[in-house]
Amino acid sequence: MVENRTIKTAQLKVGMEIHVELSTRSKMFSRSANVAHPDHYDATPNTLVDPVVLGLPGALPVMNRAAIESSIMVGLALNCSIAEFSRWDRKNYFYPDLPKGYQISQYDLPLCFDGELEFIGANGQPQTVSIIRAHLEEDTGKLSHDISCRHGSMHVNALNQSLIDLNRAGTPLLEIVTHPDLKYADDAVIFCQELRNVCRFLNVTGGIMQRGHMRFEPNVNVIITTDEGKQIATPIVEVKNLNSFKAVKGAIEHEFNRQIKQWQETGLEMGAGMKSTRGWDADRGVTVLQREKEDAHDYRYFPDPDLPPVVVTEEWKQSIATCIPELPQQRRRRYVDEYNLTDADALTLTTDFDVSNYFESCIDMLQQRTTSDMTAAHMGKTVAKLLLNAGARRANEHHRELHDLGVTPEQIAQLIEMREANTIGSSAADELFDLLCEHDADATTLAESCGLLQVTDSAQLDSWIAQALEAEPEAAANYAGGKDNALGRIIGTIMKLSNGKADAKSASDQIRRQLRDN
Amino acid sequence: MLQRTSISNLQAALQDRSQTAVGIVEDSLDRIDRIDSSIHAFREIYAERALSKAHEIDRLIATGNPIPALAGVPVAIKDNIVTDFGTTTCGSRMLEHFQSPYRATVVDRLEHAGAIIIGKTNCDEFAMGSSTEHCAFGPTHNPWARNRVPGGSSGGSAAAIAAGLCPISLGSDTGGSIRQPAAMCGVVGVKPSYGRVSRNGLVAFGSSFDQIGPFANTVEDAAIVLGVLAGEDPHDSTCASRHVPDYLEKLDQPVADLRIGVPREFLSDHNDVSVKTAVQNAIATYASLGAEIVDIELPLTAYGIATYYVIAPAEASSNLARFDGVRYGLRAELSGDDDLFELYAKSRSQGFGPEVQRRVMLGTYVLSAGYYDAFYARALKTRRLIKQEFDRAFEQCHAIIGPTSPFPAFEIGATQDPISMYQCDIYTTNTSIAGICGMSIPCGFSDIDGQRLPIGLQVQCQAFDEATMLRVAKMFESATTYHAETVSHDGTS
Repeated sequence: MVENRTIKTAQLKVGMEIHVELSTRSKMFSRSANVAHPDHYDATPNTLVDPVVLGLPGALPVMNRAAIESSIMVGLALNCSIAEFSRWDRKNYFYPDLPKGYQISQYDLPLCFDGELEFIGANGQPQTVSIIRAHLEEDTGKLSHDISCRHGSMHVNALNQSLIDLNRAGTPLLEIVTHPDLKYADDAVIFCQELRNVCRFLNVTGGIMQRGHMRFEPNVNVIITTDEGKQIATPIVEVKNLNSFKAVKGAIEHEFNRQIKQWQETGLEMGAGMKSTRGWDADRGVTVLQREKEDAHDYRYFPDPDLPPVVVTEEWKQSIATCIPELPQQRRRRYVDEYNLTDADALTLTTDFDVSNYFESCIDMLQQRTTSDMTAAHMGKTVAKLLLNAGARRANEHHRELHDLGVTPEQIAQLIEMREANTIGSSAADELFDLLCEHDADATTLAESCGLLQVTDSAQLDSWIAQALEAEPEAAANYAGGKDNALGRIIGTIMKLSNGKADAKSASDQIRRQLRDN
Repeated sequence: MLQRTSISNLQAALQDRSQTAVGIVEDSLDRIDRIDSSIHAFREIYAERALSKAHEIDRLIATGNPIPALAGVPVAIKDNIVTDFGTTTCGSRMLEHFQSPYRATVVDRLEHAGAIIIGKTNCDEFAMGSSTEHCAFGPTHNPWARNRVPGGSSGGSAAAIAAGLCPISLGSDTGGSIRQPAAMCGVVGVKPSYGRVSRNGLVAFGSSFDQIGPFANTVEDAAIVLGVLAGEDPHDSTCASRHVPDYLEKLDQPVADLRIGVPREFLSDHNDVSVKTAVQNAIATYASLGAEIVDIELPLTAYGIATYYVIAPAEASSNLARFDGVRYGLRAELSGDDDLFELYAKSRSQGFGPEVQRRVMLGTYVLSAGYYDAFYARALKTRRLIKQEFDRAFEQCHAIIGPTSPFPAFEIGATQDPISMYQCDIYTTNTSIAGICGMSIPCGFSDIDGQRLPIGLQVQCQAFDEATMLRVAKMFESATTYHAETVSHDGTS
């Protein structure tokens, strides 16, 4: 009898493995410069090497303390326990990008374990993903196949050759492994973004996706409930080496559909040795089988005799803990509590490290400059409002991030000061924001030279009022007769006459005095 | 004969200008030229460079400035210690033309101390062997009996001293590779405690055992060189940061109330009768010097070989993975449809000799899933027990003595069976397993077929107690003349 494979519900189940390249000055086990450090991003291939990185005979690894500290920092930020005693193991396998024939990693005693990260899910609700472990290892080199390129004077066109660049070999790599707590591709993406954000707040990685500073490997399967109420788990698939959030989303969504279809066709269920590895083909939007059975691999892990164990004292841990800056979650809470921002606005201003820092710099600048008695809460709220309205609109138009519009925090502070002092009107302020995107000049000077400052000079104002009352006799009469809403028409005319420079409030006061008070 | 002159006498001769560094080095090069063709202790000679370095030393002496500890002393280096000049082959086809761009820490320290590196000495391939026969470039012959092995794996370094080709050489000891050839060649050989000397630049075999140490004509010379080599190194995190004592300071003082432990297991009938007799005489000598001889037990001695031949090959299988034909070393010719796997398989099959392949396979096997617990994990447990056994033994005595090797040098080609070859190391592996220090000093001869074959006495002390070990050895040396006996027909006649 053919099994009934009718599906009632299908629930996605995703755990993440995230590789973070740490931006320490030198590599994990040698003094060689680290390609993940901003000073060396574009180093010529095979220049960031030394005997250790090249795996030369007799060369020995020596642990980089800074990489341990960065990792502990991430561990603490993820609420992990930090192992008092962890060690280095060798993962043995042959590949041309692995100079020693083994990778130094941490197998059964990781540096950080049992943590969690809270984030705001796609539905706007907070959720938590448990962290199983975070361990340190060294990155491998890079291979380029199918070469047909010019490298300096060397011209390689053989199709049958590969080039090896060992600049990345030995870069400290923090591997973070989560429980399969994620149920939606969108949430997986938000989780990955939040994790990147945390790492960038901690300043342990450049976090530049295009450079491979963070690589994501979702472990995906589907829990299917059949019509008969039976629960079935599909075999787990690990999708390797995704280096964009788009790829994370695409790969997970594709796996969800593919696994359901596969189950309907084959009835294959999760079981020992069933885990397979797939790659992501971004062009076709599909995952592609790479390795059938994970269990077939035997890495012959054993403790690396070249390296003493890592012992983390309470004192060391505490001194690292004190270096942890304000993290996105804390910042979010502070924005809500201190600046009275909505949850949504606070989230928008903290989901990107650069945007968040830009917002902070604008507030700092305003605080430094201002002579008025604006409260901190008011300043925060005002800057947020400007950035989330005028700023967000420009960012949207230019397809850029807020911090990247070309407006300096100083210019933002000047603009807000002008608004606060009422020397510029709201529509002129908006126009000024546009100009600031293009110009480096002082905001006040720019407003002045472009004639955006409000005119409060009473002679000029009086003249505009006189002209307006003359042009709108009916409205003037109505207003004088007690109809408040007639004022709008008169002010509108004044603004037209003045090209928006007239201070609407002063004008209203003046008209009220003229038409009603006497 | 300059190459048997002690370092202190050489230094004195340089100081009073009766000798020049160039003269000393020329003498060494001349002896190598005349004698080494029948011994093959050296694999490569750096004549030009050595002479130029000797000139520098002579110029330094001429300035009247104080001269460093090893000024003008010719030193031979085992071929598994990298130098940034010449080649470093490890006795392997795999590295036949390999030139290291960097130098080992010990090479740096030797040159800093004024020593002159004259060449590299032959060894078993990647230091895997006990006879210096398993070499890609031919075996080394024992200077005392050219049809016999010098021991191994540092056979070339031991033979170079025995033949008077240079006064100092370096070897490496993983399970006995300094002590056993020192015994078979009748010279002094020191394996320091694990972590006493930097391994940076020593091509790794068994990383948790490997130590570099000196060969010398006398205990004092070995002590001087050890003082130069020892100490912390930022390039090797297994190298201890602890203080290096002055090994000469109390070298000549007898150890007060000396208690010498003699493990029963070391005087078994496995030993050649000449070895047993020589060691018993040595015990009697110590007793006559006033030492208290303590009967101790090291029952785990029997498990040493098995433990060692699990852990060391396991580490070796991983350490030798880097020789893959990709970046340096031998890369096999490939045919059209060969893939990456063939590149590895062919390069490694052609590059490594049979003994290396055997140990790589052995090590791979014991680390494999399903075998790890039965072999590797169990061997680590035994290792801990062996350490504890030594700790207990050293509560009863200052030093442990016994034979270095159960038999004197055997004939080249005589031992074909790997297991019986591994038995050479029965008294030496446990020192390495426990990480303590051990050395071999001449303690007699075995006269076989008209040949005079040296016998070595092993002295072992607690980890980082080289000072006591050297004193105990020096006491014996001062009371005996075995070290002074040299190869009578050294090829010059």
